[in-house]
This record gives sequence, structure tokens and C-alpha cells, in this order.
Amino acid sequence: MTFDPASAAARGLAHCHSCGRVEPVEKLHCPRCQAPLHLRKPASLQRTVALTMSAALLYLPANLLPILQIESAFNGSQRNTILSGVVQFWQEGDYPVALIIFIASVMIPIVKFVAIGALCVGAYSGRWPRAMTRLYRLTDYIGRWSMVDVFVVAILVGVVQLGSIMTISPGGGALAFAGVVVLMMIAAHSFDPRLIWDAAARATPVSDIERVTTGLGETADPSYQT
Amino acid sequence: METLKSPQYLACPDCDALFTAPELREGERIVCPRCGADLFSRRPNFVNRAAAFAFAAALFFILANLFPFITLKADYRESDMLLAGSVSGLEQQGFLVLAGIVGVFVMTVPSLLIGAMLYVLVPLLRDRRLRWARHLCRAMSEARRWSMVQVFLLAVLVSFLKLGKLATLTLGASFWAFVGLIICLAGALAAFDQRELWEKLEAASHDV
Repeated sequence: MTFDPASAAARGLAHCHSCGRVEPVEKLHCPRCQAPLHLRKPASLQRTVALTMSAALLYLPANLLPILQIESAFNGSQRNTILSGVVQFWQEGDYPVALIIFIASVMIPIVKFVAIGALCVGAYSGRWPRAMTRLYRLTDYIGRWSMVDVFVVAILVGVVQLGSIMTISPGGGALAFAGVVVLMMIAAHSFDPRLIWDAAARATPVSDIERVTTGLGETADPSYQT
Repeated sequence: METLKSPQYLACPDCDALFTAPELREGERIVCPRCGADLFSRRPNFVNRAAAFAFAAALFFILANLFPFITLKADYRESDMLLAGSVSGLEQQGFLVLAGIVGVFVMTVPSLLIGAMLYVLVPLLRDRRLRWARHLCRAMSEARRWSMVQVFLLAVLVSFLKLGKLATLTLGASFWAFVGLIICLAGALAAFDQRELWEKLEAASHDV
């Protein structure tokens, strides 16, 4: 692996992901917080891709199976998948709710799949490193909001148990969808954005690197220079 | 004003650019010039602020567990759902994994997060560090990403709108306690910089 010459890793220094201390990687564990030290997250791309693929597989049952089954004395029984739930809210005129569920349960997972794909490509090509890093931060942040639908199911089950007018129970889709969200969160967390900058440095001619490193870099302990 | 020992180097968490750590005054922060990530900040009086917010968050969390979250009125009957009801409802129907997922993200992780903050921050007010403080401080940085209280609040609002047509619902005291919890938890997390907290922790007197 070649590191970006402006990076700490190029000088054998690892940034502790837990407490932020910069230490020589030979120490293996951070002397302050005992977290293991790595120059880059181990097997980052492999883990990210594997987790994203598992999530993509689970995404099928998550959308095809119902997430909610309602048995009502008046309206008979009703099964909703994520998408049919959104459609139903829309038809009933609940536009804000339809929009929230659509964004959280449909758009965010799809945006996340595309974003993680783009990040993995970025880790090879090194193009637009600054924008890619922003995309990484966004991906890491939005993931948890997809959990809304699962929580809605939990709350509905909890509330409606109290009354006797109907029964609500979760469908298989709810568990599958929760799995998608958790796997995608771990996938985004496994990705190491510093790989993008390594690739960017490989793709940039040396004269440009000098320009980029001005003001950075010239500071490390000479004993870790290679 | 005491000065904290700065680490010799700083590396950007997102792009790994290496810097010598500049001396920062309170209230100053530095941002990576290359990728825009927050590198380091000195926030004024951060232990006090974070501890106060964490304490308030703990109180709100206890309140949120004691009072009804949603009250349902139907057929001349009235019944209350507690926060735990969203977990126990699933559990009673045999959906144990789903109940576990909801319970972990909405109750276990947030309570551990608040507990860990209090355990680390309160002794730090007197410049002390308890025995497991470093372990909990590490766990804290992991736990914050898995705390989903704000997502749960959005889910409450959605369910409220969904069920509002079928039965008469009212939001209980716990709902407002939960709003308070979210504000205080966000305030506590925003009050300190992880690196600064570690420096302070390292400087604190030894394990009690």
C-alpha cells in the first residue's frame, strides 16, 4: 500500500481512532487509551463491500415482505410493505408522513448504496477527494434515520396492544429492514476515507503533491521519515 | 487559567494530513485545510458544561421511563403506553430479535452513553479519574453513533399521525421528557471535543 506523502501514515504515525492521539504504529496499542493502532482501518474495502452486499441481499425481503399486519374488526386484515405504506399515507392525504417514511426508508438506503459504491470507486481512482470525504461524512450520518420505520412498527405494536379494536403485529420485512440498516451502518463505519487521499496522491503528479503539502507534513519526527 | 498539555502532532481523522499541534486558546478550533474535518477545539469550561448536560439528560431519561409516552382512548377506556411498551409489545408477540434491536438502540445504548459520561465527567470536575474511566471513555465514542433517541422521537410523531385517525391519542409526560433528553444529550456531546477530554483525563490524578 502506498500512502499519501502528506499523511501521518507515510511517516509511520497512526492516528488513534478512539482518542485522537498520534503515535508510531509500532506501538500497536495507543499508550493513552489502549485502542489498537492502525495506519488504515484493517481490510476496510473488503469489509465495506461484503457488508454492503449482504445488506443489498436483505434489502429484497425487506421490501417484498410486509412490515406491518393490521387485523381490524371493521376493516378486515391489511398487510403493508414499506412502499405500500408510503402509497397509503399519500392517498390518505398524509403528505408529511408519506414524505418522512419515503425519505427515511426508501431514499436513504438507496442513496447509501450508491454513495458507498461511489466511495469504493473513489478509494481506487482518487478523484474529487474533498467531495468524496464529504460524501463519506454524510453517509455515516444519515444511516440511522432509516430506523424510523422499524421504530414506528414497535410503537404501533406497543400502543395497539392496549386497545382491543384491532391487533397489529410486525411482518418479516421489519426484521429484514432493521438488518439492512444495521449492516449499512457498520459498512459505512468500516470504510476508511483516508484511502481516497492515498489514491488521490498516487494519481497526482509529484509537483502537485508539493503544492498540496505546503504547510503540512514538514513537521514529523525525522526518525519516522522513510 | 491552567494550560493543557498539547499532543505533539495532530492527524486529520478523515484524510490523515499531519500537523504540528498549534497552541489553541479557549474557544478556538482548527479545521483541516485539506478536507474540512474538525481537528481540534478547546471549548470553554467543557467539563462543567458536559457534566451538567449529562446530568440533566440522565434525569430526563429516568422521567421518560416513568410516565406514559402515549395515552390511548378508545371504547371509553383509557390506557397508557410506557417507553418500555414499545419493546415489551414486540416481545410478547414473540418477536424477540426485533424487540432486542429496538431496546438496544433506544434504551440500552443511550443509558450506557449517559452513564459513561457521568462516570467520566463528574470525577473530572475535581480532576480525578475513576478506575474504568478510560474504558468507558472509549466505549462512549462508539456508543454515540448507535444511540437512536432522536430517530425514535420522529417515529413517535409518525405513529401518532398514523393512529390518530383510529383512536384518540394524547402525548404523555414522557414524550416531553424525551424531547428534553434529546436536547441535553446533544448538548452534552457537543460540549466537549473527544481529544480535549482525553487530554484532561490523562492529566487527571490517578485511578481512585
